[in-house]
Amino acid sequence: MTSNWLTTRAWFLMLPLLIVMIAIIGWPLVDTVRLSFTDARLVGTEGSFVGFDNYVKILSGTNFQRTLVTTFWFAVLSVALEMVIGVLAALLLNQQFYGRSVLRALMILPWALPTVVNATLWRLIYNPEYGALNAMLMQFGMIEGYRSWLGEPGTALASLIIADCWKNFPLVALIALAALQAVPRDITAASMVDGAGAWSRFRFVIMPYLAGPLMVALVLRTIEAFKVFDIIWVMTRGGPANSTRTLSILVYQEAFSFQRAGSGASLALIVTLLVTVLAVAYAALIRKSAGAS
Amino acid sequence: MSALELINVRKRYGTVETLKGIDLSLSSGEFLVLLGPSGCGKSTLLNIIAGLAEATEGDVRIGDRSVTGVHPKDRDIAMVFQSYALYPNMSVARNIGFGLEMRNVPAAKRTEAVQKTARMLQIENLLTRKPSELSGGQRQRVAIGRALVRDPQIFLFDEPLSNLDAKLRMETRTELKRLHQILGTTIVYVTHDQIEAMTLATRIAVMRDGHIEQLAAPDEIYNRPATRYVASFVGSPPMNMLNATVIDGVARIDGSLDGVPLPPELRKRAVGARSVIVGIRPENLSLAPTDDSGFNIEAKVEVVELTGPELVVTSTIGSQRLTASLPPKSKVTVGASQRFGIDASALHVFDKATEKRI
Repeated sequence: MTSNWLTTRAWFLMLPLLIVMIAIIGWPLVDTVRLSFTDARLVGTEGSFVGFDNYVKILSGTNFQRTLVTTFWFAVLSVALEMVIGVLAALLLNQQFYGRSVLRALMILPWALPTVVNATLWRLIYNPEYGALNAMLMQFGMIEGYRSWLGEPGTALASLIIADCWKNFPLVALIALAALQAVPRDITAASMVDGAGAWSRFRFVIMPYLAGPLMVALVLRTIEAFKVFDIIWVMTRGGPANSTRTLSILVYQEAFSFQRAGSGASLALIVTLLVTVLAVAYAALIRKSAGAS
Repeated sequence: MSALELINVRKRYGTVETLKGIDLSLSSGEFLVLLGPSGCGKSTLLNIIAGLAEATEGDVRIGDRSVTGVHPKDRDIAMVFQSYALYPNMSVARNIGFGLEMRNVPAAKRTEAVQKTARMLQIENLLTRKPSELSGGQRQRVAIGRALVRDPQIFLFDEPLSNLDAKLRMETRTELKRLHQILGTTIVYVTHDQIEAMTLATRIAVMRDGHIEQLAAPDEIYNRPATRYVASFVGSPPMNMLNATVIDGVARIDGSLDGVPLPPELRKRAVGARSVIVGIRPENLSLAPTDDSGFNIEAKVEVVELTGPELVVTSTIGSQRLTASLPPKSKVTVGASQRFGIDASALHVFDKATEKRI
């Protein structure tokens, strides 16, 4: 069989998938690009060509800039928290103790829950009238009265970050746990004989084994956090006073609430571009760290 | 004062006892080899000495202090692992100096110590490399360097040569012997390789099922094995073990018409008719002279193997096997009956019931 025939056959076999991909990804993307250069509305008008007007308006508007900052903080803080808690949980679950397997299985639970369920649970916890968080803080004497954690611009984003972290830290913990189990026992034993304490052992001996897998977790989680929509939509809908509005919420509002399909499409493409830049940068980072190790 | 003392060390995992009361005392500068097959408890014992495992019972003393419950870093020991256990992210220099770094030795002093050790092990040109850029032998040298640089009271080696090929293993073995002679360090070395044990040790502890079967100098282990187990474990090809019955001072080999007259001192100890095992090392057998003089035994030759320096002849006496190591140019015919001469002074006799040396 010639390699030409093999190549032709490969393309032939992939053709159905290619057609599906073009239909569900390629065509909508092309149409989104077309829409982004028009002033089309969701219902009614097809819109006319407006050039880069949509992009200029979005990028120079304070709405976009403020939302970008909110998204940035949400992504950085939630991912950082997930990383720290995930690694700590993995370190704990890597110890020998009775019931470890059960605890490992239980840990996955928050991650396995649908986001909407998780968001609803946390709405109940944060509830200003009967929420568990208010009750607990009152009992510990840390607050004087029940507060609306999701209703105050000062606390809403932090509350969302905690809820998002609770849902997603198990993924980081699972990846870290798998990496920890790959650390050869002799290496940790050698470091103990060499005189490394718990912190030095973690920093100099274990961390290099964790770095690669954690980088993958970091990439996945940052991209996801940057695109976050569902948990915020269920818990705050971007409020109060747009204090929890992220880019995906802004896209939704622009395209569907305000029915501005043209500028909504431009915004969606800007978000796509930002996420792509992030993904490429991280991929380069991963390649670099893989090369170094 | 002993450099290392183990007092009734026991280790249990649930109901399984892997170490059954080990007592051992090691003088400064000794090279002790813990020799035994997989699962005999030798690595567990080494880990207990290192502090990487806790004894269920008993005490470990290093120098003049008990180290039971003391963290490995505070035991003044260094260890070389079978897998080398080098830190993959660190350079060779940092790997060697890591123990000093953790003990807050100033950088200048550390560099000097690393350089000195690297010179001794002839790995100065490798100091900037990462472990992944080294060959197996080079990695082993770095692992030894990491232990040497700290100048501890005791060095522990856990099957350090197992991952090397035969030639490199021999070279590194010689190197270790040289280092021990130069530095006079106290070493506890675990291996299942009896050649390593015989060549390196000043004393060997042959272990079996969690206890020490015999603790003695290599020469004594080889020439006066205390039990049948020690006799058959040490030596390659292994010692021939022939079931026999002692009648009037002659060991009558089962399945043969031949008998081996026991030397006078053995005869005294094996008074009366009793079942014994006669041990004959393959190298103590020779082709019997044609005139049938001396003690000899007839066997049917089954396999002849030329290894180069010797001809290994495997024969049978009834259902018992007899292996002889002969000079390479010996004339032996496969399938023929052959009489083998026996060096009676090199006979080993073990009680069949207790398996202990008579």
